[in-house]
Amino acid sequence: MDQTTNDPPDQMFTCQLCGLSSPFTYYGQKPPKTRAIVLLEDCYVTKDPFSPDKEKFLVLGSTCSLCSTCVCVSPECSLYYTKRFCMQCVNKHLEQFPLQIQTELAKKKQSTKTAVS
Amino acid sequence: MDQHRRTDSRSWDWDNQHCRAQMDQIFFREQDYIRAGSSEHREFWSFFDRFQRFRMKKEMCGSRREDCRDAGTKSKLDLGLPAEYDARYRINVSVCSRDMEERLGRADHRHRQRSSEPGPEEVADCRLALLHFLDFSQKQSFGKLSKLRREQKCLPIFQYKDRIVELVRRHPVVVVAGDTGCGKSTQVPQYLLSAGFNHIACTQPRRIACISLAKRVSFESLNQYGSKVGYQIRFETSRTAITKLIFLTEGLLLRQIQLEKTLEQYQVLIVDEVHERHLHCDFLLGVLRSLLADRPDLRLILMSATINIKLFSNYFGSAPVLQVPGRLFPIQVIYQPIPSEEQPSRSEKLDPRPYLRILQGIDQRYPPEERGDLLLFLSGMAEISTIQEACQVYATHTRRWIILPLHSTLSIAQQDKVFDISPVGVRKCIISTNIAETSVTIDGVRFVVDSGKVKEMSFDPKAKMQRLQEFWISRASSEQRKGRAGRTGPGVCYRLYAESDYDAFASYPVPEIHRVALDSLILQMKSMNLGDPLSFVFIDPPPAASIQTAVTYLRQQGALDARGELTSIGRLLAQLPVDVVIGKMLVLGSLFNLLEPVLTVAAALSVQSPFLRSSQQNPDCATARQPLQSSHGDPFTLLNTFNAWVEVKKERGSGSRKWCRRRGLEEQRLYEMVNLRRQFKELLKSHSLVESEDSGAPSAGDRGQRRERLTERRRLHQMKRQHELQEGSKRKVLRMEENQDGASSSGSDTEGTRRKRKDKDQSRQSMDIQEVKFKLRHNVSELQEAVGQELTSRQQALLKLLLCRGLYPQLALPDTHNSTRKDSEQVFHTKNKQGVVIHPTSVFASDPEVLQVFEDDGGEMGPEKKLSSKHQLLSFVTLLETNRPYLSNCVRVPALQALLLVCDSLDTNADCTRLVVDGWLELQLKEQNEALKTLSTALGLRAEWERLLLAQLRQSEVEEPGQGQGVSRRALEKLSEELVRFLLYTEISYSLQRLAAMQTLNLYVGPQPDLELPALDLSVLFPGAEVKADPVKGGLRVTSFFTYNCLTDSKDLYSECLRTFFSCPHCDLYMPLTPLERMHHEASCRPASELQPTEEDAERGKTKSSAASSLTRVYHCDVCNEDLTLTSTEILKHKRQHMAV
Ligand SMILES: [Zn+2]
Ligand SMILES: [Zn+2]
Repeated sequence: MDQTTNDPPDQMFTCQLCGLSSPFTYYGQKPPKTRAIVLLEDCYVTKDPFSPDKEKFLVLGSTCSLCSTCVCVSPECSLYYTKRFCMQCVNKHLEQFPLQIQTELAKKKQSTKTAVS
Repeated sequence: MDQHRRTDSRSWDWDNQHCRAQMDQIFFREQDYIRAGSSEHREFWSFFDRFQRFRMKKEMCGSRREDCRDAGTKSKLDLGLPAEYDARYRINVSVCSRDMEERLGRADHRHRQRSSEPGPEEVADCRLALLHFLDFSQKQSFGKLSKLRREQKCLPIFQYKDRIVELVRRHPVVVVAGDTGCGKSTQVPQYLLSAGFNHIACTQPRRIACISLAKRVSFESLNQYGSKVGYQIRFETSRTAITKLIFLTEGLLLRQIQLEKTLEQYQVLIVDEVHERHLHCDFLLGVLRSLLADRPDLRLILMSATINIKLFSNYFGSAPVLQVPGRLFPIQVIYQPIPSEEQPSRSEKLDPRPYLRILQGIDQRYPPEERGDLLLFLSGMAEISTIQEACQVYATHTRRWIILPLHSTLSIAQQDKVFDISPVGVRKCIISTNIAETSVTIDGVRFVVDSGKVKEMSFDPKAKMQRLQEFWISRASSEQRKGRAGRTGPGVCYRLYAESDYDAFASYPVPEIHRVALDSLILQMKSMNLGDPLSFVFIDPPPAASIQTAVTYLRQQGALDARGELTSIGRLLAQLPVDVVIGKMLVLGSLFNLLEPVLTVAAALSVQSPFLRSSQQNPDCATARQPLQSSHGDPFTLLNTFNAWVEVKKERGSGSRKWCRRRGLEEQRLYEMVNLRRQFKELLKSHSLVESEDSGAPSAGDRGQRRERLTERRRLHQMKRQHELQEGSKRKVLRMEENQDGASSSGSDTEGTRRKRKDKDQSRQSMDIQEVKFKLRHNVSELQEAVGQELTSRQQALLKLLLCRGLYPQLALPDTHNSTRKDSEQVFHTKNKQGVVIHPTSVFASDPEVLQVFEDDGGEMGPEKKLSSKHQLLSFVTLLETNRPYLSNCVRVPALQALLLVCDSLDTNADCTRLVVDGWLELQLKEQNEALKTLSTALGLRAEWERLLLAQLRQSEVEEPGQGQGVSRRALEKLSEELVRFLLYTEISYSLQRLAAMQTLNLYVGPQPDLELPALDLSVLFPGAEVKADPVKGGLRVTSFFTYNCLTDSKDLYSECLRTFFSCPHCDLYMPLTPLERMHHEASCRPASELQPTEEDAERGKTKSSAASSLTRVYHCDVCNEDLTLTSTEILKHKRQHMAV
């Protein structure tokens, strides 16, 4: 615990919808040590804390392609379909999404409703 | 992508190993994100199978491609989404590998000459599966993360996050009070970290908590291998240069303060669990309180359960308190006092009926489908096994309960079982000591049964004895126990006492500092220069008498001098993290060539016994243990056990586990021993008490070997990491028969095989992480070489003496009538406590014959006074009173020799045939001449031993090793040779008995003011000693421990009748001498061979140390009128010269 090695504080990623917050180590499409893997959007990435392998990465979130809201990848907050959409935008433009997605979302809404009541 | 195209042409088979290997070469090469052979790789292929099945099913169902999106009719904005749905579009990852694609192109060109080569479709399939697999693993990990964050938010402490940070910023000391489950231990450090605080230390009373908290917190901060969060305990640290938050034990932080008074390395200190009031914690608080004055920038946070918060706040000048409500569900309290006819009387076993009624009641009132386990608090192990037995009968009958004991002497595996899950319809009934009150938290407990009793260790300074006594618990403990029922849902607490009893309980438990011996504490305070312990501001000062007792004890042990200052040995002992007696053993062992066995014994005596109590009755274990037993004493049995284990470890690696199980040994303790002994060795090295091994010389090996070792280490590290990640992730489901493991009673064949199978499962599952850690830490061949040599009988004798001196004054005398008693009724006496017995685990309990005294011929010296040259005493480690006062860890030593060499006070009559040792043991020696010779030999040996020990210690104090005077190896060899000869070959008949109370009243002649000092210069006999009349006992005080002629039957010092003719075997002296004169002569007259000036003597001459020149002194001869430097024999000779003239 050397006093002098005050490295810069962790950069934090925070989802603007659910508030989930976590430090990230990389932002972009090509996280380090991912070899042949490329991300199709700019993502907030961290080391996967649940893998014994140090080189595994975990995508925390990215920005909504429509409204630029910073969102996490949880299905409650965003959806990726060729691009990232925050849930607010998805709902706004729901009819443009394929049927599979529409029914899926409807089902989910149903189940959370019953869970709440 | 339809089925036909894929299957028509070639014989590509996804299930074919060869085909998969081909794919591996494309996607899972050595340099790829997922490597062939890794666990992800295995997971991928099983995912692949599922994925293919899923696609197949979908295709069979026929894909519904019609998309009824009314694109862009309502919305002004076109999102530009593809017209056709494809699950692939939902994945934000792509695998692009040009070399792979090129290869594909080539393969296509050649029209796939070899049919086993994958075509583009297969590659595309595999690639698609890989994308889905990556997406799936991302989702899995993110799911875990979001669950974690949700849980953090749900903790009661979460809403106080900003408030806590704010308070810490503004106040030097803050008290955070909250009950178990509020999340303070894991969250507060994280809040501080994220608020920008940097060098944080968090203390814990228990080592295990340090590790688990560090793991949990680094996990929660997603930093598991970033090592910004670490722990440090006795043998292990995960600390690195970038560690920002460290969990460590209270004791360790105190040691750090010892090294660096102001703790500059930390910015924030969190002291957790302060309400537990452990000795170290109370002391630490005191030290920190004064440290705050020197470190105004330091932040201190005390964390406590909601117990006695004001006390802590007030101690730190009304520090602000933040109270966090716990997360407890409502708990119904039922008082069920035990009816008088079921109250156990003092000697009886506990009556199980009140406990059984509760089990029955639960079975009647609550349907078995409603989960919820029972936690039963009893005071001690004996109580637990009584109730366990009774409950087991009930459980076997109803098949609705699994009975599990929980206390600290159980094996780790058995302790762990309480966390396993019971099958549906069956409840766990955990019968525990107060260990489950705060230390161990078990989820799923719905019912608590509280006996209201606790057994606590206290120290009785009068009998110099530890005592384990049963008490009523405090209201605070009672509430704590109750709270255990409401952690996961509403619960019920049955109190087996009346509400009026509860009201009469003390508010809080008695803090440890008021109960225990304070020796180590006082020693540490002295070494930290904290001034007079009596004036130190403790949060709750211990009684002055108990500080005084400790100071006296430390003085006796030679750790403090007469003024209460640390001696050189005391300074060293203060740095050893062990009891004073064990520390002394180590220092003594480092002097002689007995370091290895002493290290082992010291380590063995500092950890819990590896011998499991539950295996004691098992005849197979007893037989297997037999060869390890030593009739010399329990420390020797421990030594044998450890050495045998090391041997097994070397030969069979993790096969040692089975070896241990056969013998009823808890292997964990042996691992602890091996770590501890290494730590001891390093400590001794750092004090130059042991020479450091030549660096590099034997280890290096050739490059190939080194590489091999490196690869091996890497593999072990990998295994360790793997284990750490898996740990705690799965809980096993208990079986109905599980509980019978611990019970020694039943043992039918079927059970035996079941147990075997289960053990096998267990060992396979946990891959023996201990073995991995062991291999990482120790070189087993080197270790085996170091400890492997068997002790010769001479070494054994010397080792016993060292142990005895280390353990002194802990000595016990066998009762005179033991030979007429049954084996189980052998009685012993210590100076302060009569009628103690040997603990049944000791070798002397099963084999008391070795303590039998064989009488010498030549009659008795009166009733009860057997004459023998073979009297023995027991040197013991602990005297603990439970239902009886028990001695444990005993070594037998030859009485006369040991006493003369180690005792604190030795009083004699005029002809030295009657000796009184330490005011309680009387020895009567038959032969006056023999007596004198023995006494004088002992005095000489002691003086030499002391001289060498001091030289050794002085060396340890010199800054640079090698600078000190050092101890000559030759002198040491000579001393140990002579000590052994004295121990083994002193053949003198004597009687040994304790003084009766009446005798002690009239023991000494008392002050003799008109006593004339003898003409002889006694300082020759005892270098550095000033012989003077003893002001209390009378007689002559010859050395600090030896007073001559002070016993009441003593004759006049000069009475001529005491003179007997003496002819010296070494010189031609033949004169009538008094005993004192004779001893004097014997001490100075050595055989001619020894008088040759040795190198050492020459050196001594140079350095002119007072001790070194002990043999010569300046003698002024009146006849020659000259100052001569002569030995006393030479003086006598010189005098005779003149007489002859
Ligand atoms: Zn979110
Ligand atoms: Zn949006």
